[in-house]
Amino acid sequence: MSATCEFQAKDYKSDLKPIWCPGCGDFSVVQGIYRALAAIGRPPHEIAFVSGIGCSSRIPGYTTAYGFNTIHGRALPIAQGIKLANPDLLVLAAGGDGDGFSIGGGHIAHLVRRNIDITYIVMDNQIYGLTKGQLSPTSQKGRVTCTSRFGSLEQPVNPLLYMLAYGAGFVAQASPTDLVGMAAIIEEAIRFPGFSFVNIQSPCVTYGEEAQQIKGLKAISESLVALGHNPADRLAAMDLAQHYGEKMHLGVFYRNPEPAPTYDGLVRERQALLSKDALPKERILDLFIKK
Amino acid sequence: MRKDLVFGMAGSGGDGIVSAGDSLLQAAAAEGYHGVMTKSFGSQIRGGESSCRVRISTDPILNPGGNLDVAVALNWDDFLKFGAELPVSGTTVVIYEAATGVAENEIPLVGVTPLQVIAVPIAAMAKETAGTERAKNTVVLGLIAGWFGIGAVAVMKGIRKKLAKKGEELVEANQRAFDAGRAFAMAHPLKASMNIVASETKGDVKLITDGNDMCAAAAIFAGCQFFGGYPITPSTEIMQFFTDHVWKYGGAVLQAEDEIAGIGAAIGASFAGKKAMTATSGPGLSLKGEMMGLASIAELPLVIVDVQRGGPSTGLPTKTEQSDLFAAAFSAHGDVIRPVLAPTSVADTFRITIEAFNIAEYYQTPVIVLSDQEIASRKETMDPIDTTQFKIINRLRPAGADLVDYKRFKQTENHISPISHPGMLGGTYLASGIEHVESGAPTNSGSVHTRMNEKRTRKFDSLKDRKDLFEVTGDPHAPIAMIAWGSVAGVCREALAMAQAEGLNVKLLVPYLLYPVAEGVYNDFFGSVQKGLVIEQTHLAQTFKLLRMHLDLPKGLRSLARSGANPFLPGEIVAALHQLLSELQRSHEGKLQPQE
Repeated sequence: MSATCEFQAKDYKSDLKPIWCPGCGDFSVVQGIYRALAAIGRPPHEIAFVSGIGCSSRIPGYTTAYGFNTIHGRALPIAQGIKLANPDLLVLAAGGDGDGFSIGGGHIAHLVRRNIDITYIVMDNQIYGLTKGQLSPTSQKGRVTCTSRFGSLEQPVNPLLYMLAYGAGFVAQASPTDLVGMAAIIEEAIRFPGFSFVNIQSPCVTYGEEAQQIKGLKAISESLVALGHNPADRLAAMDLAQHYGEKMHLGVFYRNPEPAPTYDGLVRERQALLSKDALPKERILDLFIKK
Repeated sequence: MRKDLVFGMAGSGGDGIVSAGDSLLQAAAAEGYHGVMTKSFGSQIRGGESSCRVRISTDPILNPGGNLDVAVALNWDDFLKFGAELPVSGTTVVIYEAATGVAENEIPLVGVTPLQVIAVPIAAMAKETAGTERAKNTVVLGLIAGWFGIGAVAVMKGIRKKLAKKGEELVEANQRAFDAGRAFAMAHPLKASMNIVASETKGDVKLITDGNDMCAAAAIFAGCQFFGGYPITPSTEIMQFFTDHVWKYGGAVLQAEDEIAGIGAAIGASFAGKKAMTATSGPGLSLKGEMMGLASIAELPLVIVDVQRGGPSTGLPTKTEQSDLFAAAFSAHGDVIRPVLAPTSVADTFRITIEAFNIAEYYQTPVIVLSDQEIASRKETMDPIDTTQFKIINRLRPAGADLVDYKRFKQTENHISPISHPGMLGGTYLASGIEHVESGAPTNSGSVHTRMNEKRTRKFDSLKDRKDLFEVTGDPHAPIAMIAWGSVAGVCREALAMAQAEGLNVKLLVPYLLYPVAEGVYNDFFGSVQKGLVIEQTHLAQTFKLLRMHLDLPKGLRSLARSGANPFLPGEIVAALHQLLSELQRSHEGKLQPQE
């Protein structure tokens, strides 16, 4: 493994110029990721950064890591294949709220229960931006969009509560309103040994509502540290997570004090345990000999 | 004396019919015979109807055979549910359970008078000798040993081994049931002896396995280190084999939450530099479409096995069909070529699966192995395969100068670009489903899209020259031809031999590479063809249409196509060939007649 402290944030920035709208929250998110990666110090070629489809899913291309901008909703299944094929890699997955909690929603419970050591960053803006402003799974009930002219009829999902309920070992929320804090949270998530989730309230400047812009978010933000929240207390975390949508709690909701074994770690153990039973490959058909 | 016998047995789920078939096949192999066993079930997990067909021969076997020589019905309701899968003819000996109460001259087979019909009190004999009707299948094996000379010693040797852990008492009970069956047969000889001749190769080592296990073993041999999949009949055993073995080779297997995640994880593993595979059946293939498109545009090697069953939708989930050809060739949107290969037997599933990995790795593409339920779940005896004859191809890695200002999708002479993977210093790039320039950076440019489409499709030109992925048998100048693939190819190989024995000048083309269509190979084959048949198990004649889309077919080439679960018999194909010959002769005569 490589030495730390050799890299600076700029070493993770690619030459591709982001095509996000000026003022988009995702600009801050990618900065936070550069800083977190520099703090951790893994060289870019040892990082695989996977995304789905959406504005925020452009993000791997803006880093110098191995990027994979896949298809809508499927960043997590692909990321887990990468991690299982080569557990030495640092694997990041990212995308938007629609990508993660609508079309890709079915995968999350399974990634969490397998506890594959991947960090999943969702840039949550309560809207479908790339398709120009439709209702998203985290849009508030009553929200008016071009596919809900008379107001949304459905309850939003609660990403934080879902993740906690599924059993994720690390659940946090960050915001571009506090870049330093966001970078620290992403770093902590990556360092957590197991599946980790960071929800980032990343405003859409083009289709987002006034209340969800930086000013509005600042007004409802509250630091979990300042609240005196104990991140080892999962039930307290779930209590706080219920305020998703009304309050913006920033910080670590839950960090399992006794991280469970990871799937990728167990795979390695099994490989080591069984490798002695391997027939040489050229003799694999001996398995079918009937005498 | 017979050199070849086809047994078809049916009963209800708990009767142990398939287990009897297994024992018979293994005993035959131990006695030096070649054997093929197919299974067919209703969709119920417990109870329901269950059948197997076992063909045993002194010569290598090409297919599970046509009409039955021996039919065994433990009850008539279940036997009749298999219809054309267990065809009884005038040369069939029918053995059935006397307790059904059906008189020998009143068995419910319409329009056929079997060679001989024998009612046997199978259940009663099982109860009397073993104390339980569950030994019915062992009584049947005793009957077969007595009447047809297969397995007199080897069957019980096998059963003894299988039941050893369950105690001597159970073994002895089975021995008594077996002996009773054999004694019954001896006491009631057939009108005409049907004993099989002794094999000359007794004691030679043989392999016995089915297509799914063979496919998975071939994948591991080819270097596959990751399998992602989801349970679906009739392909699940491939994943099961991986869960038993792949760890030993430093690999991993993931039973994913759905079909999409299964192929997604495999694509991730391939991106990470490992050979990867997924397997599924029709409905799963439909779900994997978008991911297959991603693997094509990101140029990632991947093998997708589709074990075909009757479709569309749930269709006939336990029965074979060849109706996924269009889906294999064309599912997923956009302009894309995705190679499709098809094995024709359990034995050649080994070679074809290795070819699939080699093609996937060389061309950096998803490849579909189009197996079918019959091949996947039938068991074959095989002579040992020399695995050292197979060459393994690995993807082209960037090295040296490639890694200076590395361009993942660099235009090259053969359109294949060196591929890096995470962990490789100097090789970082953005893989994507979005169109990209040579470096991997996204683009919306029409001209780049044209160039990249050209790169991604022209790279397969050399694949179409692979004549070794086609088999031509018979006289190359024959005017009458057959084309068939997959499990149907085996029936046609036998039909070819029969037709030749009857003096017909016929040839057969078996494509292992179905797509892209290798125009040159077909045009060479068509040179002498005046009449012919494309024989396939799809209602819509998908193979015939795929060929017509790419080629000018000879005028006399026709389709012989039917829905799944209605097997072709070698005899009916020979009859169809005779028909073609007489048409040909008539048309020649017509030409010779003077004009009015």
